[in-house]
Amino acid sequence: MKSNIVEKEGRVRPDGYSKVTGNLKYLTDLTFPNMLYGKVLRSPYPHAKIISINTDKAIKLPGVEAVLTYNDVPGMNRFGIIVADQPVLCEDKVRYIGDAVACVAAHSIQAAENALKLIEVIYEELPIIDSPEQALKPQAFKLHVGGNICHQAMFSEGNIQQAFEQCEAIVEETYEVPRQLHAYMETEGGVVVPENDGAITVYAGTQHGYRDRFQLSRILGLPEKMIRIVSSPMGGSFGGKDELNIQPYAALLALATKRPVKIHNSRTESFKTSIKRHPMKITVKTGTNRTGKILAHQVKIIADKGAYTTLGPAVLDFSIEHAAGPYIIPNIETEGVSVFTNNGVSGEFRGFGGNQITFALESQLDRLAELLQIDPIEIRKINLRKATDKGPLGQRIAPTDGAAQVLNGIQKLYEKTNKQYSNSQWKRYGTGIAIAMHGGGLGFGRLDSAGGRLSLNKEGQIEISFGFEECGQGLLSVIENLVVEEIGCSKEDVKIVIGDTAVVPSSGSITASRGTSVVWQSLQKLKDPFKQKILHHAGKMLHLPEQSLYLGPGGVWCFEKQAGPCLTYKECVEQLIDNTVETSFHFPVTPDAISGGHFLYSFGGVKVDVEVDLLTGKVKVLSIDHVVSAGPVISPHGYRGQIEGGGIMSLGYTLLEEAKMKDAQYVAQNFDSYLIPNIAEVPFETNVYAIEELYEGDSYGPRGVGEIGTIAITPAIVKAVHDAIGCWVSKLPISSEEILEHIESRGMLEWI
Amino acid sequence: MDMKNRVIDNPFTLNEGQTIALKLTINDEQYELQVNPTIKLINLLRDHLNLIGPKVSCGIGRCGACSVFVDGVLVNACLLMAYQVNGKHITTIEGLVGVTIDEVQQAFLKEGGFQCGYCTSGMIMTVKSLLSTNPDPTEADIKEALAGNLCRCTGYGGIIRAIQSLAKSKVAVQE
Repeated sequence: MKSNIVEKEGRVRPDGYSKVTGNLKYLTDLTFPNMLYGKVLRSPYPHAKIISINTDKAIKLPGVEAVLTYNDVPGMNRFGIIVADQPVLCEDKVRYIGDAVACVAAHSIQAAENALKLIEVIYEELPIIDSPEQALKPQAFKLHVGGNICHQAMFSEGNIQQAFEQCEAIVEETYEVPRQLHAYMETEGGVVVPENDGAITVYAGTQHGYRDRFQLSRILGLPEKMIRIVSSPMGGSFGGKDELNIQPYAALLALATKRPVKIHNSRTESFKTSIKRHPMKITVKTGTNRTGKILAHQVKIIADKGAYTTLGPAVLDFSIEHAAGPYIIPNIETEGVSVFTNNGVSGEFRGFGGNQITFALESQLDRLAELLQIDPIEIRKINLRKATDKGPLGQRIAPTDGAAQVLNGIQKLYEKTNKQYSNSQWKRYGTGIAIAMHGGGLGFGRLDSAGGRLSLNKEGQIEISFGFEECGQGLLSVIENLVVEEIGCSKEDVKIVIGDTAVVPSSGSITASRGTSVVWQSLQKLKDPFKQKILHHAGKMLHLPEQSLYLGPGGVWCFEKQAGPCLTYKECVEQLIDNTVETSFHFPVTPDAISGGHFLYSFGGVKVDVEVDLLTGKVKVLSIDHVVSAGPVISPHGYRGQIEGGGIMSLGYTLLEEAKMKDAQYVAQNFDSYLIPNIAEVPFETNVYAIEELYEGDSYGPRGVGEIGTIAITPAIVKAVHDAIGCWVSKLPISSEEILEHIESRGMLEWI
Repeated sequence: MDMKNRVIDNPFTLNEGQTIALKLTINDEQYELQVNPTIKLINLLRDHLNLIGPKVSCGIGRCGACSVFVDGVLVNACLLMAYQVNGKHITTIEGLVGVTIDEVQQAFLKEGGFQCGYCTSGMIMTVKSLLSTNPDPTEADIKEALAGNLCRCTGYGGIIRAIQSLAKSKVAVQE
């Protein structure tokens, strides 16, 4: 395992010690005196009318303190980040098997579960829509008042009809990608605690505490100031905990019983109710001239939204935007539709629609390269964007040479190590490469506020605050390392405050690979005013000119006296009244009014080697090389971990994972039948190369890398399989049956 | 409250009053407990003895987040009933720390063998178990030993590096 980035000697994560000793209290580990356990009754049917709900027997069960239905929701009985169309507790209809109908608080989990069984709900089953195609038929019944189309989007430039006529090579294919489970190891959960004055504190993981507060305020009919959200740390999220999950139920029950209520989903409950990566069918027609220059590219996307909106429209917009990836395509037409069905709800998932569309795009290039007998690197070079080219929607973006940097990096690896494996009787080996471009931040026209706060607190600590959460991604390391670097203090001087709406400023959501960017940009705005404030005060205390002082480890130092600080931070703060600087700003956005268009992009390139077993049809990934261009590396372990871990998550997406639905019911509901990669599936030969250099004059600093490592893996593996056995896979996860059929049809086994 | 000598109600059952006596050692401390016969080991540890290091992620013995030692043998605490460990020695992640943290914990810190940390307790117990019987594991040994512990964050890279940094020969460590 190689990498060009190395952690500094002795540097460990701020949350490291508590994690390796098992002492860290996750929010689902919390207990409070007098606490009750909550459970939620979910619909057994994917689509049904609710005729009646009778809770009389359940409430009489010993140990049960509250049984609530839609009648008990004091505010708006709906939630959803973009469109609030998901009932907290269903009134008259259920639209998927995760829909909540009632919730219970009891003295024990067992009592709460028993109470659920005593709630009598009479349903009238309705026919189901379990595919977008079915939902789009003219005669299909409507799942929502507005119909079955959740969102439609398109982008076009040039004239594809004319351009296709001039093409020498055309490839047309439909790519099918599955519903993927986030599979964070900590399932959704937490505790809601009623406070004395009618307020509540919500201890539950989320990716945007302030937005949970806003959504809960609407549901509970409580002013936002009476809701405190404590939302960090989390045992993983990957986009999956951004939308509300158990919070409304625990909050309603806590308010009803005036006691703390804990809800912690079992894995099966989590599986049925959590959002998933959008399954999509992507039909692409791409044409080039004789040399491989793409002249026309036509893309049609159908996404299975499931029952409710959540962040679906933004995910589809992201797919549309990234349809051309890092390539300059003069004639393009991309249209997409996200369609309501009775399937499980699709939503935000690391990569945010980029994974699906990049698989289709990169696969098209590989197919065209084969048709034209061009090297896969060469066809990408011919079409690659240049540093100052506009973005994929024609919008101005921060100039970046990332596309060429990662392609060149991958080319070197490709030429150096290609064909190091030799085929045997039952095994074939292949190599594949792919690249990806990925927008960071929410995009033009979206509320993307950012900010942070820096103060010298009363304990003499340099306190840095953000409205962000530590999901595991390594945010705390990024903050600590940047504060030490920008302020000049030691890490012992730093106190990090995140994940608690009672004390943090608004920073926006910890999504869209924006965390590192926001922390760095905030510090650029905060550091000088902060230093000036402290030095001005220290100068007065020491009767020295400010210019002779600077902030260093342990306190304020004099340039002339290097033995140690002249004034410790603790001494400095004693008479300091104005001790805080705060910033709020909008995440950098394109100046062109193109909805959803991004401004900052990161780039990733991947090379993989695979082995295909001719007897079993199993594909095994033998090595993964990542080349990433995302600006300076702030936290080497965190960076490497995000890229390696993201890559393996997508290895699972490509080879193993599908949250399959049959008649709108989940076929698998736990890790016995939904398999995520274990260590045996993972190549020990995984290498990460970071390109830290930014384009000349770039003032936006390091970009986040939470997503970029997940994107290019899939098309690289698919190309490697083709390289090994000549089979083009267009449906994920790659099925051994399809591979075996191909092997048999080609007569690749000696005895056939 | 005296943690080591007490009657434990099971919040996971309605059958009150039925208890059995258990004598066991957890992290080198003796416990005499009255427990409901239907309680699982993981719930005894987490919900009653406040040993929250072991986690429940799948609850069916597939993820290894609840891994502990029973008489030195690695087990999934979600698959054992509390009565099954009567008279035995249990070690949880909390029991690995002596005067300083264990070398496996140190290696995880140094090599970045975790991110969210939710699998980490179980993962460290499993690595400890592997290295105690096989101080110089090959790639195949590591894969076999850790196949029952799922991690969604790291892609296992940092975990592999942590193990290899401790392996006797250290041949596989490359930077």
